[in-house]
Amino acid sequence: MTMNHEKEVIADTGGLSRRDVLKGGTALGVLSVAGFGTQSLAQAAVPSLPMAFRTEVEVAFRINGAQTALALDPRSSLLDVLRDQLGLTGAKKGCDHGQCGACTVHVDGRRVAACMTLAVQVDDLDVTTIEGLAEGDVLHPMQQAFIDHDALQCGYCTPGQIMAGVACVREGHAGSPQQIREYMSGNLCRCGAYPGIVAAIEDAARVMEG
Amino acid sequence: MSRNFYPELVRVDALDKVRGATKFGTDNRPDNLVHGAFAVATIGKGRVISIDTAAAEALPGVVSVITHRNTTSLKPAQFLMGGGFAFQTHSPLLTDHVAYRGQPIALVLAETLEVAIDATAVLQVSYEEQPFAATIDNPLAEPIAQAEAPMRYPLEDISVGDAPAAYEGGAVKVDSTFTMERQFQNPMELIGTVAAWEGDRLTIHEGTQNAGGCKFGVADQLGINPDNVTVISPFIGGGFGQKNSMQSQLVLAAFASRELGRPVKIVVPRRQLFHDATSRPATRQRVRLAANRDGRLVGALYDVDAQTSKLDFFPAEHADTAARFYGYPAFKSFTRLIRTDIPTPGYMRAPFEHATAFAIESAMDELAYKLDMDPIELRLRNDTAVDVVSGLPHSSRHVAECLRRGAETFGWSRRDPTPRSMFAPNGDLIGMGVAIGLYSGSGGPTRARITARRDGAVSLNVGVHEMGQGVLTAITNVVSKRLGIPASAITATVGVTSGVPQPLTAGSWGSASAVPATEAACDALMKALAEAGVDISASLPLGEMVARTGAGQMQVEASSVAPGQELQVLGRTDTGRVAPAGPVYPGFVAFSYAAHFVEVHVEGSTGRIRVPRVVSMFDCGRVLSPRTARSQAIGGVVWGIGGTLREGAETDARYGGVMNGDIAEYLIPVNADIGSIEPGFIDEPDFQVNRSGVKGLGEVVMAGVAPAIINAVYHATGIRVRDLPLRLEALLKPQA
Ligand code: FES
Ligand code: FES
Repeated sequence: MTMNHEKEVIADTGGLSRRDVLKGGTALGVLSVAGFGTQSLAQAAVPSLPMAFRTEVEVAFRINGAQTALALDPRSSLLDVLRDQLGLTGAKKGCDHGQCGACTVHVDGRRVAACMTLAVQVDDLDVTTIEGLAEGDVLHPMQQAFIDHDALQCGYCTPGQIMAGVACVREGHAGSPQQIREYMSGNLCRCGAYPGIVAAIEDAARVMEG
Repeated sequence: MSRNFYPELVRVDALDKVRGATKFGTDNRPDNLVHGAFAVATIGKGRVISIDTAAAEALPGVVSVITHRNTTSLKPAQFLMGGGFAFQTHSPLLTDHVAYRGQPIALVLAETLEVAIDATAVLQVSYEEQPFAATIDNPLAEPIAQAEAPMRYPLEDISVGDAPAAYEGGAVKVDSTFTMERQFQNPMELIGTVAAWEGDRLTIHEGTQNAGGCKFGVADQLGINPDNVTVISPFIGGGFGQKNSMQSQLVLAAFASRELGRPVKIVVPRRQLFHDATSRPATRQRVRLAANRDGRLVGALYDVDAQTSKLDFFPAEHADTAARFYGYPAFKSFTRLIRTDIPTPGYMRAPFEHATAFAIESAMDELAYKLDMDPIELRLRNDTAVDVVSGLPHSSRHVAECLRRGAETFGWSRRDPTPRSMFAPNGDLIGMGVAIGLYSGSGGPTRARITARRDGAVSLNVGVHEMGQGVLTAITNVVSKRLGIPASAITATVGVTSGVPQPLTAGSWGSASAVPATEAACDALMKALAEAGVDISASLPLGEMVARTGAGQMQVEASSVAPGQELQVLGRTDTGRVAPAGPVYPGFVAFSYAAHFVEVHVEGSTGRIRVPRVVSMFDCGRVLSPRTARSQAIGGVVWGIGGTLREGAETDARYGGVMNGDIAEYLIPVNADIGSIEPGFIDEPDFQVNRSGVKGLGEVVMAGVAPAIINAVYHATGIRVRDLPLRLEALLKPQA
C-alpha cells in the first residue's frame, strides 16, 4: 500500500528524512513505537490492529548491493539487525546512543549512526557497511590510507572511522586538516589515533578526488 | 647511538581491521543465541527485599529472569589483588546485597536484545536502603592508613632519611595539594561475553586482557574443572586496564547458558560500565618540596588519599612512583585508603603514575618559579643514577637525554618564562610547559611456542594479548629479524587459552614478557634443529633446515621469567595468577621515562584551552616496532590531554552513581581536541631488565602529560591549577 498523503503529515527533517522512513506501508510499525505517527495514518493503514501489538514489520533494502528482506521487531536498530541478523559485524557498538560513531554506515550514501537508526527506516534504501567498501580484494583508498598512516590501534572504531571518512570526503568536508578534525569529531577513538586518521583522510581525499 | 634498531613494519593486523574482518569477542554469534540484559540497583546501598519477575516473564520472547534466588550454586568471585581473578570480591546477583548504585540485580534472558532490554524495565523491585558514602569527602567514608590495611600484598610507607627535618630546614619550599576526580577507561569495545557449552565444556568469547584469569576464575565460580574452559580473546577493542580481570557478567553468562542449554550473549551497556566496573580512584595528594637556593632538593614529603571500595583494598602505589622522580636526599610518604561505597577501583592506564606525575611535576614547576630557574635545569640538577629508596643503581635512566632532545625538538629556547608574556597572532595567550613521567619496567613469566614448517611458514603462540598496542606486530618484527625470514611468513596467535597459558597483559609488561619468551623460543628452535643434525651455521632458509630433519614441521616451546624470578613462578601464570616483577630487581631498579613538552593556547576572555602542539621523548628501552610504538605514544599523549582537560566522573553524593555516566557527558578527547603530537624515542636497549632490552611503553606515554599541560597553562595565564580535570571556571575565577 502506498501513502500519497504522507507529505502532509510528516515533514522532511533533513538528513534521513522521515519521508524516506515512510516509503511503503511496511514501515508503519515505527509510527507508533517512535511516537511520531498520527492517528489518521495508523488507522488508514491497519484499521483493525492497534500498532502497539505489531511485533514484526517487513522491511526490504539493499545491503552492500544485495537485496534483502527481513521481518523485524520495529524496535530493532539498524546496528543490531546488521550485526545479529545479517552477520555484518564490521559496524561496532560503542555506546548504542549515537555518541561514539563506531556504528557508522552509509544509507543512500550518507553517513548515519546505525545504532540511532531504526532498521525499519532503511526500507527501500541502500545500506553500505565496511564489508561492502572494497571492490573484491582491492581496498578502497580510505582503507589503504588507514593502513599507510597506521590510523588505528585496537581497530574497534576503525570501520566507523573509515565509513565516516569516506562520507567526509564526499561531502566536501576534507578541505583542510582543521576541517577534517571538525567533521570527524563524531567518531571517537579511545586509542587516540586521531593524527593518523586526519593524515589518512587527507591522503585518501587526494586519491578519491583524482 | 642506535636508532630504529628494528625496521618499520606495517601493523600485521591492519588489513583485517580496515576491512571490518577482525572478530572481537561479542562479534561472535553462535546459533540459537539468547541475549541477556541487566536490571540495575536504583539505591546507593542496601539489600534487595523482593523482585517480582512475573510481568517480565510474561513478555513474549523472554526466556528466563535470573536473580540472586537462582544463583545459590555459584561461588563468589575473589579480588585480583587478593589472590583471585576478578576486579572485586563482590559478585552481583549472588546475594541480595547491593553494594553501590547501578549494581546489577537481575539478568533477563530473551530471544532478542530488544525484548531483553524491554523486560528489565518491568521488573518490580523493593529494597531496604542503607546509608552510604560514594565520595571520599563523605563523613561515612572510612579512611585507613594503607600500611595498616589488611592487604594480601601489604604496602609500606616509604621513609628515606629524616624528611620532615630536611623539609623544615630547606631554603625554598613548596606545599601544594592536588585533587583528581575518578576517571573511567572507556575502551571503545564494550565489556561483554558470549558463553556456550558443549556437554561439560565451556567456550567463552570475550575481549579480555586476561584470558587465563577468566578461565580459572569462571571455573572456580562455577565449580568446574578449568581444563574444561576455553577463553578466546585474540583481539581486544581497547582495554586500558578495565578488562584486566574477570568482570561481573562473565560467570552469569556462563551460568545462564548452562541452565538454558543455549549460548548466551551479554554486552554490558556503556552506562553500566560507569557503575559496575573499575575506575581510576579519586585522589588527594599533598606534596611538600624543599630545596637549596641552587635548586638541589633537600627533602620531600608526599601524602596521598586514594579512594577504594568497602569491598576490597585497592592498593595505592603512588608513592613508589613519586620516590623515583629525583635524587631526593630525604623522602617520606604517607598513604591512606578511603573506603567508599563504589565498585572496587582498578587499574586505568598509568594507574598511579598519571596522578603522581601531576602532583610532583606541578610542584616542581612551582619550585622552579620560586627559584627563578629554568624548569629543565631544575630537573637536570636533581636527576639521579641511584634509586633513593633501595640504594640500587637504575639499570638505565635517560631522563636528561629525553629532556635535552625534547627541548631541542620543541624549541624550548624560544620560551620567555614570564607568565602571560607570549601571545599568538589572534591574541590567545601562549603557554609552554614541561614535565617528566616514569613507569616501572616490569616483566613476568611467559611461555611461547614456535612451529616451523618445511614450506617456510612459521607460527607462534605466545602468552600475551593484542589490545591495540601492536604486540603482534612487535613479535613478528622480532622473529623476522632473528630468524631471517620475511614477516609475511609469520603468523602469531595470542589470547586463546587452548594454546600456551595466557597471563594478564597489563602494566606495560606485555612486550617485556612476551618478546623475551618469543626470542627464547627462536633459540630453542635453532637448538632443536642442530640437535636433529642440521648445520644451522650454513645459512640455509629456515624451511630448508626443517626439511633436512625429515619432518614436516618442528615445534618447540620455551619460556622466560623476569630477573630474579625462579622458573617455578611459571606455575602461577599457568594457573591464571598474576606474577609480574619489577621495578626493583636483584642489584638494580628499572623504569621507563618520558619528557613531555606542551604548548597551549588560552583564549583570554573564555579561558578556552587548546593544545596545538606536543613533543614527547621516551626512554622505553628497545623499540621493537617503530610504527606501532609511535601510534602508542601518540595515543598516550591523547590520553594525557583527556585526563587533564576533560575526564572526570561526577559522583552524585546524595544518591550514589555517576551522573555523567556516558561518553557524551564523560568527555574523552575527540579529533578536534588534538593537534600535532610528535613522539621521539631514545631507543637504547636495557639488557639488564630482559634479554630483549625492553622496558615498556604503553603506560609511560601518558605519565607526565598532565603536569606539562598544567605548567603550560600557568605559563600562559599565571594561574596555578591543582584540581583535575581542569574546568574553564578555574581560569575565570578572580585570582587571589
Ligand atoms: S554505537 Fe552508534 S554511535 Fe556509538
Ligand atoms: S583504534 Fe582503538 S578505538 Fe580507535
